Amino acid sequence: MKLKRLAAVLLAGTMLFGATATVSAEEKAADEITIWAWDEAFNIKAANVAKEMYAETNPDVEVNVVTMAQDDIVAKLNTSLASGSYEGLPDIVLIEDYRIQGYLNAYPDEFAVLSDIASPDEFAEYKTGVNQVDGKMYGIPFDSGVAAVFYRTDYIEEAGYTAEDMQDLTWDKYIEIGQAVQEKTGKYMLTLDPSDLGQIRMMLQSAGAWYTDAEGNVTIKDNQALKDAINTYKKIVDSGISKQVADWDQFVGAFNSGEVASVPTGCWISPSVLGAEDQSGKWAVAPFPRMAENEASVNASSIGGAGWYVLKNVGHEDAAKAFLKDTFASNVDLMNQLAVDINLVSTLKASSEAENYNKGVEFYGGQEIFKDFAEWTNEVPAVNYGEDTYAIEDIMTEVVQAIVGGADVDETLEMYQTQIEGAVAN
Amino acid sequence: MTKKVLRTFQYIFLSICAFVSIFPFFWMIIAATNKSVDVTKGTLMPGSYFMENLKAVLSSDLQYTTAFKNSLIISVVTTILAMIVSSAAGYAFVIYRSKSRERVFNIILLSMMVPFAALMVPLFRLFSKFNSVPLLKTIALNTPGAVIVIGISTAFLIFFFRQNTESFPKELIEAARIDGVGELGIFFKIFMPTMKSTYAAAIIVTFMNSWNNYLWPLIALQSPERRTLPLVISAMGSSYTPDYGMMMTAVVLATVPTALIFFLMQKQFVAGMTGSVKG
Repeated sequence: MKLKRLAAVLLAGTMLFGATATVSAEEKAADEITIWAWDEAFNIKAANVAKEMYAETNPDVEVNVVTMAQDDIVAKLNTSLASGSYEGLPDIVLIEDYRIQGYLNAYPDEFAVLSDIASPDEFAEYKTGVNQVDGKMYGIPFDSGVAAVFYRTDYIEEAGYTAEDMQDLTWDKYIEIGQAVQEKTGKYMLTLDPSDLGQIRMMLQSAGAWYTDAEGNVTIKDNQALKDAINTYKKIVDSGISKQVADWDQFVGAFNSGEVASVPTGCWISPSVLGAEDQSGKWAVAPFPRMAENEASVNASSIGGAGWYVLKNVGHEDAAKAFLKDTFASNVDLMNQLAVDINLVSTLKASSEAENYNKGVEFYGGQEIFKDFAEWTNEVPAVNYGEDTYAIEDIMTEVVQAIVGGADVDETLEMYQTQIEGAVAN
Repeated sequence: MTKKVLRTFQYIFLSICAFVSIFPFFWMIIAATNKSVDVTKGTLMPGSYFMENLKAVLSSDLQYTTAFKNSLIISVVTTILAMIVSSAAGYAFVIYRSKSRERVFNIILLSMMVPFAALMVPLFRLFSKFNSVPLLKTIALNTPGAVIVIGISTAFLIFFFRQNTESFPKELIEAARIDGVGELGIFFKIFMPTMKSTYAAAIIVTFMNSWNNYLWPLIALQSPERRTLPLVISAMGSSYTPDYGMMMTAVVLATVPTALIFFLMQKQFVAGMTGSVKG
């Protein structure tokens, strides 16, 4: 029977694939560590540069760097940790600051304590609030998400303002400038994406507040900072200086094509701004605006950012810790290199001494942006993001839209307090 | 007169539908020929950057070609095995009588109601144990076998083949039996060739499902050199500064095999429509 033979060959074939696969899995050497991260142009490149530097002094350790989408990393960590199966898990994994508390609380025995290879006071204060549990440090802070206003100097000048006016901004002043820009140049001041509460999040952190308090309890009702942030957001929308966008693609497109005069967001947007080479020299960076009506609010905030964590049950805990110790936990040369390679703003305090941090960037009119970013990073108020930032925001987008649409702030926040409490209790 | 108005509306409606379904493909091809910056600026004109994008895709650390090969192996093997196993099951459910036949079939249908997300963790635990069993190593985690085995017998395919076997003329089987053809022979030599159109439809569906399958490969395949295309494309898209040109080039290449399968099978699909029982 011809078909029988065909089937047999196929089955044998699949077995062969399987056999080669298991062999390669068994070959894994003792001193081989795997790192997971998600951005080829950013954190993956950082891991690769670190790997090269580490290889100079430790040629016998093999480091594998694997790119995986952030959501995929989350999905894989969840299934593997939930089922207690460590096969194929990495030794070092990059986890976003907003998510890490959830992991540390749900799987306290899976992550290695890193207090013996680094100390919190070597890093920007706000970064170490999230990676500690009971005074033990579990992560090595990586990138700064320090917030800033990237702005078009030509548009601002045309509107009759100077770089001086952009310093020490309040949101009221920002809106005033925005209206002048719109009048004189016909451009919008910024883009807003109704499905992304990044602006609110940054305003909250500028006042040292969050959707939750220090103990992780949901504080939507009577949260003065949240109220101020939503009111500020509404003011921006009502003033008509914002262009509405629906996704990341349009957000980047708006400033690449010169439709908006400023981009108030994390410093990691810089590579995207640099993408429009024809706008070189027309950009500058200013500190993030504060909310004048909130006394706690300062001209510094953060959005995003991540840290390196070691999974201790995968089998190479010591090798992984040794690697981090010599690279991301201490190496200023590495940070100096990464400033050029990937525009990394490091949260390692010592890196502000690095040579490249004190060089002007031509695209930003010669401004020493790294020095500025590093300085502002140290001023960001520390906030414990808790476990449920994303779950809360799923509901908060509705809340914010309702309030922008005219609903009463106090009433709406009070109404949603219980609903959000219920949503995160699961 | 009213007929004409109705016509016009029909055409307008259909044109809108056509536009909505074709535009994403158009955009994909346009984006693949442009620089990332131009894509975000919203250009709708074909650019001249395709070769650079292609080079970026092929030289990426993500091992695009390896992933392409993996996807191809998994999808082809899954489709072939699924055609044999699932169609045999569907065939047997109609042709052979047994008391518990309906009950077994209902259980299979019930399994369609359980969402895959609920099965994920138990399946993962099960497959992670296979590595210690010599014979099952071939389908353990991190092997193509783990992905293939999940795809070869699905409730949907069995259901699909059972429904279509109902219309298969039983007289053919009886005639063959009288002529002394064995049961396997009837299935392979008579049933399979006559049901070409059914197989063509099933091949298209199975191949596409397998080619686009995301969740299970994501969890089952761990090392980078084992990953399939959807995983690699997803990894490309997660950058803070995504290279849209390169990503869309990767997507264009990934669409080619499914399109090919579809057009190849379409011919069979039509050929199979001609009748089997002749006077």
